[in-house]
Amino acid sequence: MAQEALLAVDGVSVFYDRFRALADIDVAVGGGEIVSIIGANGAGKSTLLKAILGQAGRVEGRIWLAGEDIVGRTTAAIVALGVMLVPEGRRLFPSLTVEENLWLGWDVGRRGEFGFAELWQLFPQLAERKRQKAGSLSGGQQQMVALGRALLANPRLLLCDEISLGLAPIVIDELYALIPRIKERGVGIVVVEQDISRSLAIADRFYCLLEGRVVLAGRPGEVGRETVVQRYFGL
Amino acid sequence: MAAVWINQLLQGVLLGGLYTMFAIGLSLSAGVMRFVNIAHGDFIVLACFALLILTTSLGLNPVVATLAILPLAFAAGFALQRFLLQRVVGENLLLVVLVTFGLSIIIENGLLQGFGADPEKLSGGWMETATIGLGHGINMGLFQVVTLAAAVALVAALDLLLYRSGIGAKIRAVADDVVAADLIGLSSVRIYAVAMGISFVTIAIAAGFMSIWTDFDPSSGPTRLLIAFEAIVLGGLGSIWGSLVGGIVLGIAQSVGAQFDVAWQMLAGHLVFLLVLVVRPQGLFPKY
Repeated sequence: MAQEALLAVDGVSVFYDRFRALADIDVAVGGGEIVSIIGANGAGKSTLLKAILGQAGRVEGRIWLAGEDIVGRTTAAIVALGVMLVPEGRRLFPSLTVEENLWLGWDVGRRGEFGFAELWQLFPQLAERKRQKAGSLSGGQQQMVALGRALLANPRLLLCDEISLGLAPIVIDELYALIPRIKERGVGIVVVEQDISRSLAIADRFYCLLEGRVVLAGRPGEVGRETVVQRYFGL
Repeated sequence: MAAVWINQLLQGVLLGGLYTMFAIGLSLSAGVMRFVNIAHGDFIVLACFALLILTTSLGLNPVVATLAILPLAFAAGFALQRFLLQRVVGENLLLVVLVTFGLSIIIENGLLQGFGADPEKLSGGWMETATIGLGHGINMGLFQVVTLAAAVALVAALDLLLYRSGIGAKIRAVADDVVAADLIGLSSVRIYAVAMGISFVTIAIAAGFMSIWTDFDPSSGPTRLLIAFEAIVLGGLGSIWGSLVGGIVLGIAQSVGAQFDVAWQMLAGHLVFLLVLVVRPQGLFPKY
């Protein structure tokens, strides 16, 4: 299993000083697969994403990306290998234009088929606003820039951290409609979300974290909602 | 009579060119990167002494010597940021101030130890003495005119670099949100170092002009820092073109003040600075 998947998190623990934020986690993501990570606040969802990106504290265990162990590499190196994050809270550079924000994603990433032509096609709203400062956009438009910035890096693995946070339901629907289209390109996608039902609706598989451990894993259709809710809260 | 005032105004504008040179590197490090380098003036003086050695012991022409130290200046700024100053980035501002203040003291005393307290100067030869006459007793020094032109060119170049180039976009991105920059794989540590390297290139260029324009000694740094700070705050923090305007405003204030009484030269500059702070605390062309 470990070397076949696009991403294989293999017995990973993450420590911040003495505190163990993740304990012996195994998570796998295949190419063209959407994997949902659910869990309450502080369960370790963001820590898992940070560990994959080389931004966590002390990491024990192995993280395989297409057969290469990426533990200990710099974020820049990991991004260049094809991992890209859509950060929680969007984290655009507000004083830069939309186009400059997007270009940064293109510049740090891998060369691939997804370029600006495809991007403007996917987000026509952004094409009209490319010279505008990113800070002047609405929340939904900013999230499109954050997603676009990640896509321009031509990732093999796309990490989405709370992309629905603070957005209107109609905008969230629009964004969530895009994710299966990204999957069709063979991209492995990790979706971290507080909103369980929305993220399970598009996921092929899911992992539920509680206090730094995987307490439940499976396919959304095969596990009852009751079980998920119980494990989510550790009941 | 009018000719005297016009002359002072003109000399003030030209002096503003030199002040812009002092300010421009600080405009990048403090104004854009929000990294307050208290040793900025001392590094200018350090570069002046480096030029002194190159011109006296190797007999190099000052222009050649200045061009020769530009790559060294970039490397020095890069290494300083990467291996020393980076340790205090993101910590509280006081640490940055303390570390660079310490550097300032080390440089000043190191130079004093090595060169003594006597004022030094580079000779610009014919460049320094040539003048352009405008009639009515108004003359502009050729070197002063060249300095102003070079300052304008340097401001334009830095503005283009910052707003029209890839590395410029990265520098502004890191200045906007360093955590986000690291999360998407922009190496903020490297970008900080490149920005400081660029700042040091402008320091070396400023030193090239200053070492011919005026005397310098190991304790000349803090005055240059003060002028640089006043110029970038006057112009508006983060605005590269603002530092040109700030430098010229200071130059005119000093030059006109000196016409009343020579002792008023520095004071007039500071007074204008304070006046603008009161009336327009965000500076003339604020970016933020």
